[in-house]
Order: sequence, then C-alpha cells, then structure tokens
Amino acid sequence: MSNEIMSELRKDYIYNLAIKEERVDGRGFKDYRELVIETGIINKAEGSARVRLGKTEVVVGVKIQPGTPFPDTPDKGVIITSLELIPLASPEFESGPPREDAIELARVVDRGIRESGSIDLSKLCVEAGEKVWMVFIDVHVLDDGGNIMDAASLGAIAALLTAKLPAERYGLGTDADLPMRDVPVAVTAALIGGAIVLDPSIEEEAVAGTRMTVISNQEGALSGMQKSGTAPLTTEQMNYIVDIAIEKAKEIREKFLEI
Amino acid sequence: MDKKIVIPGDFLSDDVKNATDGTYVEDGKVFAAVYGLASLKNQIRVVPLSGKYIPKRGDMVIATVSEVTFSNWITDIRSPYDGLLHISEFPKRIENDDMAKHINVGESVMALIKDVDPIMKVELTLNDRRLRRIDEGRIIQVAPSKVPRLIGRNGSMITLLKNNTNCNVFVGQNGRIWITGKERDMDFAEKIIFKIENESHVSGLTERINRFIKEEKGESAREPEYEQEPEIEEEDIETDKTVEKTEDIPVEEETQEEDAPEGILDELLGDGK
Amino acid sequence: MSKPEKFIEDGIRLDGRKFDELRPIKFEVGVLNRADGSCYLEMGGNKVVAAVYGPREVHPRHMQKSTTAIVRYKYNMASFSVEDRKRPGPDRRSSEVSKVSRQALEPVIFVEKYPRSAIDIFVEVLQADAGTRAAGINAASVALADAGIPMKSLVSACAVGKVDDTLVLDLNKDEDNYGQADMPVAVTQNGNITLLQMDGHLTSDEFKIGLEMAKKGCADIYQMQKAALMAKFSKSAEAESNE
Repeated sequence: MSNEIMSELRKDYIYNLAIKEERVDGRGFKDYRELVIETGIINKAEGSARVRLGKTEVVVGVKIQPGTPFPDTPDKGVIITSLELIPLASPEFESGPPREDAIELARVVDRGIRESGSIDLSKLCVEAGEKVWMVFIDVHVLDDGGNIMDAASLGAIAALLTAKLPAERYGLGTDADLPMRDVPVAVTAALIGGAIVLDPSIEEEAVAGTRMTVISNQEGALSGMQKSGTAPLTTEQMNYIVDIAIEKAKEIREKFLEI
Repeated sequence: MDKKIVIPGDFLSDDVKNATDGTYVEDGKVFAAVYGLASLKNQIRVVPLSGKYIPKRGDMVIATVSEVTFSNWITDIRSPYDGLLHISEFPKRIENDDMAKHINVGESVMALIKDVDPIMKVELTLNDRRLRRIDEGRIIQVAPSKVPRLIGRNGSMITLLKNNTNCNVFVGQNGRIWITGKERDMDFAEKIIFKIENESHVSGLTERINRFIKEEKGESAREPEYEQEPEIEEEDIETDKTVEKTEDIPVEEETQEEDAPEGILDELLGDGK
Repeated sequence: MSKPEKFIEDGIRLDGRKFDELRPIKFEVGVLNRADGSCYLEMGGNKVVAAVYGPREVHPRHMQKSTTAIVRYKYNMASFSVEDRKRPGPDRRSSEVSKVSRQALEPVIFVEKYPRSAIDIFVEVLQADAGTRAAGINAASVALADAGIPMKSLVSACAVGKVDDTLVLDLNKDEDNYGQADMPVAVTQNGNITLLQMDGHLTSDEFKIGLEMAKKGCADIYQMQKAALMAKFSKSAEAESNE
C-alpha cells in the first residue's frame, strides 16, 4: 500500500476473512509475523537493536550519559523515551515535530519499561541530588508495515538488555551492564469486526476499529496498557485480550529475550 | 537473450534515430535513463524494473474515488496525478447532488483515460459500455512496471490465467487488477498473479507459470470447495451485466509495443476468443 | 579521543589505509518495503539508509511547479548516531547538508518528465563516522535508480582532506576532526562536479590534485553502486530459478 485510499472492496475482503477466521497473509489470529531481533548494531550507542517484525522495521538506540536528577527523585536515574515517525518509513508520515501518534507510541514504550521496574533506577544514582545516569531510548522507525508499537517495545527492551553504562568515558568508574530486573513485553491486538487478531499488519490496522496493547512482565503481571482507536471493546473481549497477550508475551520473551 | 540489465547513464547505442522510451540522447549517443532491461533490436528502449504509473491517453485503469466534488469525482489511479472523472463522463445524465449515490468515496471503477494534457491533468471517462463501477470480486495490486508481463504477448498470460482459474480478470494499466469468480478460484488467481509479479524478469516465465498451475491444481483438487456466488448488485449504470461481451473502444491504438500488443483490451475483458 | 601525534607513518594511515584508499563500502539495494526505492550503505563506520518516494503529489500545493517535478532531500541524523546524543530534529547543519545534497542530485534527474509532482529523498544516518553527507548522496543516488526515476547517471561522492600536510582520500573520524582540510565532492558518471565544499587550508595546487583524487574515489564508488544494482536484479532472478 502506498498513500492511496484503501478501496471499500479491499476492506470488505479483510472483514469477511476475519469472519471466516482467516487473515490476508494466512496467519492464525494469535500468530505473529516473522520476528528477527539483532542487537549491538550501532557502535556509537551504549545499547542498540534492530527489530524486523514482518515488513515492519525499527532501530532502537540507547544513549546513556550523566545528568541532573529530577528534584522529586534526587537519587534515581532518569529514562527518556523518544520516537519519531520519520517520512522515510511511510508515505503517510510527515516531517516535523512528533505528532500525537508518535508521542503516544513513545509514551507507551516508556510506560512498559518504567512501570515494570525493568531498570533499577536507584542503581543509576552517582551522587544524590547532583548526578545520575540518564538513559535515552530513541526509537527510529524505518519501515511501517504495521504494529510499530510491539516492534518499538521489543527493540527498546532488547537494546536495554545489551546496554553498558559508559562509566569510564565520564571518569565514573568501570563500565558495567545496565541494572536490569525485568523484561516487559508488549503485545498488541486489533479488533476487526468482531474478531481479535494479534500483531496487526498495516492493512489490518487500516480496517481495525481499535487496537489494544498489553504490556506484561516476567511474572505475567500487567505493567502497562493502552487502548488506541475509537471502537469500544466489551468486557469479555478485554479480558480475552489480556489473557492471550500475557501468554504471547511469555512465548516471545522465552524465545527472543532471555537475559 | 537480446535483453540486458542497465542502469541510468549506461551507453546503449549510436543509433540515435531509434532511441525510444527509457533512454536519452547526448552528444550523438543513446544512454539508458532508467534502471531496467534494455532492448536494442529495432527500437532502442529500456523497460524499467520499477516506478510509478504515469497515465497515458487510451489506458484502461482501475480508479478509486477519493473525493466527490460539485461536478467531479477525484480518483486515485496510483500515480502522482489524480484522475478526474467529470459528471458528464458518467454513462447517463445524473444530478450533481446524486454523484455520491452513484460512485462514492472508496468505491472503484474501471475507467478509460480520455485525455492527459501537458501539465498532467488526467481526465477519465466511463462513457463506454465496458466500463463500470466495481461492486464485486477483488482488486489486487502489482507494480505497474510488471503489467506487460502479466498480460503477456498478445494477452497470452492473461488467457492462461483465466482458463485455469475460471475467474474473470481485468488488468488495469496502473497495476490494479480486478478478479471475479468463486472465492477459492480468486485465491488461486491471486496466487498466480503474485507469482508472475515476483518472477516477471526470469526467462521462460510462461512455462514456469504453466508448471506452477499444474502443481497447484494437483494439490488443491483435494480441498473442499466453497460455493459462494458473489452478490451482483445491479446498479443503474448502463452497462452489460458482465464484461464478457465487448466491442472495440473508439480510441487510438497506441503504437504497437512488443509487450503490450494491440487487442489487449479485448483480451483483458474476456471476449471469449 | 585526542589529536594523534602523527596521522601517517611510512605512507600508511592510522586505520591501515594508503593515502588514496577508500574505507570498506557495502551497498544493499531495495531494503525498505514502503519506499518506492531504497538503499542501505555502510561506508567505513557510517551506516545510512536512503529512501525515495515519488514522483508523488506535492503537499503543500503551492510548492508545485507546473512544468517539472520538485526534488526534496531530507538528511537527518538519528540521536544515537553520534558519541554524544544528538537532540532529535533538524538543526542548521542538517539543513545545509540537505540543501547541498539535493543540488548534487537534482542535475541528473529528468524532472521535466513529471510536472507538478515531487520526488522526495530521505536519508537517515544511523551511525556517523565522518563523511555522512557523501554516504547519504551515494545511497540516495542508488535509491533513486531503484525507484525507477529517470536520470542521466548515478552520482557518486567522497571526501578528500589533508593531514600531516598530505592529501588523503575519504577521511576517517580523527582525520576529519583534527586534520587540516576537508573537501567533500560529488560527481556524475562523466566527472561533472555537482557538489563541492571545503573547509580548512589547501593550496591551489593541493586543491587541484585533491579534486582528482576525489574523482578517482568517486569512480570507484560508482562501480560499487552499479554492482549493487546489478546484484539486486540477479539475486532475485537466481533465487527464483533455484527454487
């Protein structure tokens, strides 16, 4: 698809397939597209990962440098997550400062990392009130084939898991791994008609009434959630999504992200 | 093979007189202007391996309505330029207020490019019995640069496709393809079309596709068959019920091209030859 | 990193290259799905991705030209591409690089073929290691061909510079940071210059010799660009006939 409007005929086709429990690319409703995660691809970054999820591709770089803590958390490190939907990645993305879609994506990625306590921020304090480690997570989307959310979240956690504190460079001791405690995994479901499918492709996103992202941690508890889109979900649908998302997150974590 | 892969700037020939599409002439020499397959016999040209659809007068395309204005349907034809369908080009007289009732945003039509002016204003028409709104079946997309291979010499590929799938298949020059038939047959047709698209530059394509069809048929014969007739909603568009019966469209035939022979339209529309 | 005492010893540079040798270069064509044409390039430690969209409709409309396509070029550095994190978004440097890069490519594009349209080129620097603008132009030129855009020829670019009073081809990071001069050059296939910038100190003789060195480097890069485009074609053809 390029930046052309999707024909009604195509939309109907996708809906009708969903009714028959089928998807355009032949996947089952709970199947992810092929997932490839590579780490350590950017040597200027303290941690990095490239994620290919079907036709979606993102590169995540983690930069770590000393800075001043926030006044309300003087003894904790800082996480700052940014994501840009650059026009290289899709004919629909425009130049300029991030708009609400990009900001939402960045905030949800951030939420999973932060709320799962995946980074032990108290260990990122150099001198309380004065100097802490700042962890910048920058997500660069290169190809939008749908479900940027999951690709970005996976990229962020994979990059963090391989990141090093560049202490020597700043005369702050010896380099060390980032103090990681948990591995949150985001799983996104899309509602197409009455059907719930995981890892929506770009075409499925275009017809989906709503998307639901569920981020769960190693224990299988929830760390963050986001409903994005206008179609309402029933309680039954919501509960079902949570169940399959946690199950799927476990599967992905075991296969791709064991420390 | 007399074709070779070239990139922009490659020297092709000194025969300036026969330089055609995909080439340019400088200092009395012919060079490739695009990345593609060069053919040097008779006419010198380069068929690009990729690129956008650039509308030409007389092309049949599938257009999807993006906006309905006071007297025009503005359509997307997968090109840098919108296709304009004026109310007067609708096969019968309708009121301006009713335009959206006849063709609404998101709906597609088989249309003919009536005219393209020097600044690329593209005018479409539905004023031909074979042209119509598309209400059933599927529309799929291939790279516009692959359309000639999909049609084949004298429409041979498309005939092969139709005969083996029981589907009716119309290939728009803009790389949109309309398929009608039974669900399972359309699945099969789609599969073959994407196979052709992916292998369009491999030699012996027709033979490969033939073999592919045979293999696939051997397998799929065991699968259960969906019996699902597409709903045909007959609108008041003045057209034949199907696109089977056709007459020549009164447009200028293009200069004959190797891969896009004359009579394509008839082949495409399945006049049952 | 501080300034090395010597950049060249026994005719060999610190990274082991001869004075007129390019860094290792790797092109890959057609790496993105959404873009109409794309190219990934590693040139030394640089990692860049170029994407081409178009010809396509121009937004905003008032930028349209009635008789030709407009060419737009956006060079952007990922915030993690450099040692100290770069703030996301455009800055004065990237604006300038975008402008000169666009003008390096514009003269080879047959813009008159596509009135009222836009040809958009996006270059993302994922990892920067001196010479990113040249890398960007090299990748963008291949991405344009991959998108099927009609052109007179590819454009190839590399820098020449001066360290230890010696001219060297394709500066690395230290040579760039601490050297005496830096001169990025882009040329068409027949050697016409479409980009030239210089900063530092060069005599007019050094300039003339340096320009020839850069052109020689560009000619080598041109062969690699061509080979990459050929490889894309034969790769897909092979994969299919071997199935």
